[in-house]
Amino acid sequence: MMKPSFRGSLGIRHLVCGSCNGCEHEMNALNNAYYDITRDGWDIVASPRHADVITVTGPMTGAMRAPADQTVEAVPRPRVVVAVGDCAAGVGPWAGAPEAGEGAGVVLNASVFVYGCPPTPDAIRSGLEAAAELLSREDVSEASVSPARIGVAVWSAPVDD
Amino acid sequence: MRAALRGRDLIEFERRIRAECESGVPLGAYASSHGVHYVFLGERGAFSLERPHAEDRAASAFSTAFPGFSWDEREMRDAWDVRFADLPDPRPLGSNGGSMPAAVVATGAGLMHMVVGPVHAGIIEPGRFTFSSGGETVVHLDAQLAYSHRGVEQHLVARDPLAAAPYLARVCGSCSASRSLAYAQALEQLAGTAIDFRVELVRLVVAELERIYNHLADLAASAAGAGWGPGFARGMALKERAMRACQRATGHRLLFDAIVPGGVAPQTLLEPGELRRSLQALQSSVERYLESLFGNPSVVARWERAGAVSRKAARAFGAVGPTHRASGGKIDVRAFAPYGAYRRIRTSVASASTGDAFARCAIKRDELRESFRLIGAALANVGDARPKAAATMRVEPGAATGVVEGPRGAEIVAVHVDETGRLSRVHVISASYRNWPLVARAMDGNIVPDFPLVNKSFNLCYACADR
Repeated sequence: MMKPSFRGSLGIRHLVCGSCNGCEHEMNALNNAYYDITRDGWDIVASPRHADVITVTGPMTGAMRAPADQTVEAVPRPRVVVAVGDCAAGVGPWAGAPEAGEGAGVVLNASVFVYGCPPTPDAIRSGLEAAAELLSREDVSEASVSPARIGVAVWSAPVDD
Repeated sequence: MRAALRGRDLIEFERRIRAECESGVPLGAYASSHGVHYVFLGERGAFSLERPHAEDRAASAFSTAFPGFSWDEREMRDAWDVRFADLPDPRPLGSNGGSMPAAVVATGAGLMHMVVGPVHAGIIEPGRFTFSSGGETVVHLDAQLAYSHRGVEQHLVARDPLAAAPYLARVCGSCSASRSLAYAQALEQLAGTAIDFRVELVRLVVAELERIYNHLADLAASAAGAGWGPGFARGMALKERAMRACQRATGHRLLFDAIVPGGVAPQTLLEPGELRRSLQALQSSVERYLESLFGNPSVVARWERAGAVSRKAARAFGAVGPTHRASGGKIDVRAFAPYGAYRRIRTSVASASTGDAFARCAIKRDELRESFRLIGAALANVGDARPKAAATMRVEPGAATGVVEGPRGAEIVAVHVDETGRLSRVHVISASYRNWPLVARAMDGNIVPDFPLVNKSFNLCYACADR
């Protein structure tokens, strides 16, 4: 059913910062006929300038640090950064690898963290709903101080003995 | 005189590598703390030609004669200080302190340059593409990846080989099962473990599910590249159904951790009958999709002659998988060096010769059909009993290389285990790493707006190439 208005419609820009592309498979699924986020007035947009929300994945690599900062900065305010996946939250398998950072969502100050390896499309949708809710507030600037958390981390380092 | 100085064994080493590059199946090259290793495919799997480092780490580059090793040798120089005197492309392969080396561009009257990336417009991994074009015609394309370089291989050093398996499953989300299988093969060689045939059948099912969801996504993206929206939408819906079949078969939509050293995870293929039924329904939908896709003259016309890779170029760059077979190549690891259940359930190898986007799509169409057939044959033999628990293994010190045919071609994992039983070196050679240089070559003489179409007909991953 169509919502009574497009209140809460989102332009979503996706930014990959060293993800294994597992999260990208699930981000792409949001566009397929089963999840079809366009029914809610949501759209994956081609430019950060068109976005309200920027979803970020991966542990953050050295090579992506500067391009990632520039991309987030290009999203007009008010904006919400949504971290997708355990890697982006800094708790994935590559945390501590020599060229991996603390998680794209941590580095880029995300206000919403969606856990999973990868998170399901439904979990990502919940994260986007949380982002829409934040954007409807008067002031989203403080949202990253106590971010919303969707689900629990799936990755746990294997016992190495 | 020169021969005496260089040593007879070095000459023999170089002669053998050149001979294998000439008439064998080169897979890749890497360095370790011991020396340099050049990997080839034989009828019994992957084998390495190795040589200890020279005292000054000097070495001759083979990429001068065989450009397929260009990325490998640049990486050996950057990460392991192997001192090649004569690399054809001397630039660092990846970023250095966060900055990429300058792109190679063509210059001349009327030529212009266009840089795309590392951040792209869709839901795509990062990479920088620098086009040199005259008008719309591409004269040269430089593809610079490595933005997803995490230092995966260093992160694995000193870990317990069995406990490291979940990391290998997460090097790349699109070829996770294939890489898990290649890694398992390497450890099973070192442990001398034989795998129960029923378990091998289950592994075949998992590996072919990976091919099915990937090939469906590739064809859908290629339909989008040709501008046919319904072909994209239907293909992605079918991919979703395939991912749900993966979920039912293994508990994971992308098959992570289903294949483990010694066997398969306990939750794998608990209900083969249910999977058989859902795949039968999926197969008939896929068949209708393939007929409409390949029966659409507008789509086919856009695919034909776009991004052609000649047989010679495919050979020179060591193309693997559908890229290799679309350009007249005959090798599919499942048939050339059969492993696991492929020894008993023989794979029919898809073939094409025009090397264009159409040929790559046609290979994937034929392989989709073959994957459904292989899974059907495996499920008919697997019975309804639960697969056996993974074998207990003791991984002995040494080196072994696993190789399997993933959706994009040969997926290779080389594993070195030290005297304490820990990993001392792991090297991943992905099919995407092998094929990426050909995406750039395929654009020569094509028009810039065809890049998405050409690129998607390969649909390579970045994560496993960059590591």
